[in-house]
Amino acid sequence: MRDYDIIVIGGGHAGIEAAAAAAREGFSTLMITQSLDAIGRLSCNPAIGGLAKGNLVREVDALGGVMGLLIDGTMIQYRTLNRRRGPAVQAPRAQADKFSYSRAAKEMLEHIPKLSLFMDTVTDLIVEKDAVVGVVTERGWRIGCRRLVMTTGTFMDGRIFIGEWDAPCGRLGEGAAIGLGASLRRLGFDVGRLKTGTPARVRASSLDWDELEVQPGDEEVIPFSFLHDEVDRPRLDCYVTWTNGETHRIIRENMHRSPLYGGKIVGRGPRYCPSIEDKVMRFPDRERHQIFVEPEGVGTEEMYLNGLSSSLPEDVQHEFIRTLPGLRHCEIMRPAYAVEYDYLNPLDLYPSLESKRLSNLFIAGQTNGTSGYEEAAAQGIVAGINAALSLRGEKPLILGRDEAYIGVLIDDLVTKGTKEPYRMFTSRAEYRLSLRSDNADLRLTRLGWQKHSVDEERLERLDAKIRQMSDLKASLASYRERGKSALALLKEPEVTVDGLVDRIPSIASFQPAVRREVELDVKYEGYLRRQELEIARFERAEAMAIPPDFDYDALKGLSGESREKLKLVRPLSIGQAQRISGLRVSDIAILMMAVKGV
Amino acid sequence: MESYSVDEPVYALATAYAVSALAVVRTSGKGSILLLSKAFSRPRKLLAADNASLVHGHISDSDGTLIDEVVLAVYKEGHGYTGEEAVEISTHGSPTVLRRLFVRLEELGFRQARRGEFTFRAFMHGRMDLTQAEAVEEIVSSRSVHSQEKALERLSGSLRRELGDIRRSLVEILASLEVQLDYAEDEILEDWLFPDEEVDGILHRLGLLASSYGAGRIYRDGAIVVLAGEPNAGKSSLFNLLVKEDRAIVSPQPGTTRDYIEAECEIAGLPVRLYDTAGLRTGGDEIEDEGIRRARSLFEKADLIVYLVEPGRPLPDDIDLERTLIVHSKSDLACGGGLAVSSMTGEGVGLLIDKIGERLHEGEVGQGAEGPSIDSERQLACIRSCIQALEAARDNRNQSVDIMALFFQGALEQLGLITGEVTNEELLDTLFSKFCLGK
Repeated sequence: MRDYDIIVIGGGHAGIEAAAAAAREGFSTLMITQSLDAIGRLSCNPAIGGLAKGNLVREVDALGGVMGLLIDGTMIQYRTLNRRRGPAVQAPRAQADKFSYSRAAKEMLEHIPKLSLFMDTVTDLIVEKDAVVGVVTERGWRIGCRRLVMTTGTFMDGRIFIGEWDAPCGRLGEGAAIGLGASLRRLGFDVGRLKTGTPARVRASSLDWDELEVQPGDEEVIPFSFLHDEVDRPRLDCYVTWTNGETHRIIRENMHRSPLYGGKIVGRGPRYCPSIEDKVMRFPDRERHQIFVEPEGVGTEEMYLNGLSSSLPEDVQHEFIRTLPGLRHCEIMRPAYAVEYDYLNPLDLYPSLESKRLSNLFIAGQTNGTSGYEEAAAQGIVAGINAALSLRGEKPLILGRDEAYIGVLIDDLVTKGTKEPYRMFTSRAEYRLSLRSDNADLRLTRLGWQKHSVDEERLERLDAKIRQMSDLKASLASYRERGKSALALLKEPEVTVDGLVDRIPSIASFQPAVRREVELDVKYEGYLRRQELEIARFERAEAMAIPPDFDYDALKGLSGESREKLKLVRPLSIGQAQRISGLRVSDIAILMMAVKGV
Repeated sequence: MESYSVDEPVYALATAYAVSALAVVRTSGKGSILLLSKAFSRPRKLLAADNASLVHGHISDSDGTLIDEVVLAVYKEGHGYTGEEAVEISTHGSPTVLRRLFVRLEELGFRQARRGEFTFRAFMHGRMDLTQAEAVEEIVSSRSVHSQEKALERLSGSLRRELGDIRRSLVEILASLEVQLDYAEDEILEDWLFPDEEVDGILHRLGLLASSYGAGRIYRDGAIVVLAGEPNAGKSSLFNLLVKEDRAIVSPQPGTTRDYIEAECEIAGLPVRLYDTAGLRTGGDEIEDEGIRRARSLFEKADLIVYLVEPGRPLPDDIDLERTLIVHSKSDLACGGGLAVSSMTGEGVGLLIDKIGERLHEGEVGQGAEGPSIDSERQLACIRSCIQALEAARDNRNQSVDIMALFFQGALEQLGLITGEVTNEELLDTLFSKFCLGK
């Protein structure tokens, strides 16, 4: 086997973006995955996007990524979430045909020049002088590389739990990656355990359909990818049902058989996505919990029970699932299970996602303690781009918290670390009004071009959009009514661009995306301006660079506690240092003086 | 987080916080001159002033009330101590004037400088021949400045509880907004309704806190302190000592003071109207009796009666001990236990001043219906801004949830300057503990 510029371990959502980006950047790239049939698998819910997550997908797309293209090509239901609650926080979400998604992902990778795919399991890294120079696989291959991107997901020493039963798996039926975790521990990596879970899948033909509420998708489908003007896909419904007292009684009576409550699982699970037993125990007053029944694809009968993840034994699952209306006679095709896996402390990474411990190594995805396909993809593309940029000898792509949710995500991980699977929320972003899902291209595509990750087509589409936006704004500015221009009218809450079509017919000639963009820009202008001062201050602090090898021990006057925290995080800017929790302001001031001359 | 920074307008008192002929308040940062011109009687003159020049005029409150006659020393960017645009304000050295000036500066957009911040800025601007070590030392000596997260712990008991409560309520309101933004309509089915009752409650409590600043009346109008005692107890000598002038006629003759005399002065940082009264005795002449009658009527409205008595002498029955500070007089002549002063040598006067200050402060806390009170201009400014943000939220109640969250974030940010900032993690903790979430 020949050597490669860049090797990517893993074919999940982080691995896909990392490999695609690395190859797009022009480097010979090898993706090594345990199973070629499992590339881009949607291990848990068959959906992409959601609040904050949809923004991540758009940002990945704006940087030249593939997730938006994949979901546009495989969706079976689309919704824009939170239309009522404020345009700035609306986000796209789509149900995916999970088999098509995985297939499309593999096909897309196969079409990327310079990208090779290989099925094997990496068990060790080849390290020379604190730098990774290659990998060792289960079947004995030693493959050299100049940069390595590790995206091992839940597979590193993964263990699945269903009640009393457990097995070394990353997904049900797929063996864990054994050995790599131990190798990394030996190399000194800070390895921890996290836990997540997934619900049971039931058979569509066994459901009592008249007992389920129908949840249709939107009529209007807004593509995820900025490369698409429209999406033409089949539309399937989702369904809603509820748990009840009987469900809760069964769960409560069998709680002692849960590996979570019995102490078999030590890893921490996500609070935002609790198992049904967690919900029942923590909110005993709730009489019922909402459960979504979602199709997993067009050519499958499997239905996903969103909200019902569990690690209770299968006999208990059978009993409580069948207490829900619509599910009383259901056939369970796959059981719910919990999975516990190794993750690497992300404080060990620079904001470029390069390891502080070993050079040439980049780490992305669930391995860094996150959860979710979108979070994984977001890190994957950054790791792939940065592996390539470091080969070019160029500065890494580091997105600011004021530029992208991706920036917020990575900054949180490398500055604060995480103790539970990290999921993106809009409330994590200080400037969410500017980080809208619709303007990700305006925020990031030109930057992506400068970093060689975006092609001409994308850049041309961006320029066309910008031109159209300014044309539309000009049309709106020239129309006057009640002594106000249409731009001023648009600031009134009830006035919309589409509502002005009767009076300004030229509006109809603009793309919906352009109309939306202009409307939101105008409506939020005042609020965005208020944030400008704050953003300016934020950027000043970000611009004060601290060398990665700064000698904190030699800095007089620092408190001991702050010194230890600074040595652990090794912030690259004063701004990042300020976000380390518990750091004293006086210590920041001392640090500012110290780096002033650097 | 409010950290050491450059260019942001800040202020600090450069002289001692005490009664003195002059006090100097330094300001520094971009736009300092423009900000100050908004409170200055000759704004154009100030804006046109050359570097290192003096401008004379008046500084006023937001309602136009005069604070003090001042001389401003103007420094343009690149000059002066910090190397930033800066103005030094020379005022009269009166704690009352200073407090009002600080409130005004906060309103204008200055914040109080952190300890060592002027030196820090001077260093950062490469302004002076200062070694880094010196600046570091100055900052390190302010070690009481802990991390922002622990800010609340530094506050005193009742204020900490009150602010902690208000903060918690606001965090819960914000969490109820955030949950709408972070979970979809099909998961959080209820729409958000403006929590009028909670917001009104919080506004009311913040209003009380804001008016507790300066402990209300005494800071505004001054405290009434009456010196009383038997004839020839040394009241007039003490009066002169406290007002630092020879106002009252002092003689060894008992009954020298017939009618009361009064003077404005500062005692322990409080504005005080001090009265010297006729000695209490019977058997004097008609004029003296009238003087005593007037003295007794003063006792009625006094915030504090300082009763001078020679050790061993009885106290009059009709005196309200709750409002009275018993002081043994002429400690140079006799020595006894308790609080004693010598009006001749001034011995014990320092202690007496502290005691008077303490008693007046106590009385104030009592009058505020045992409520918590704030004690700095910074806190007042933050609470006022917090109130404004909440009022803006109420006025914009029909805005979408994402905008509404901005107002509550703004309110919490201001409160956070006193109580420690609200982190995203804290918000999410609140959200997960209050709402059962997750598909």
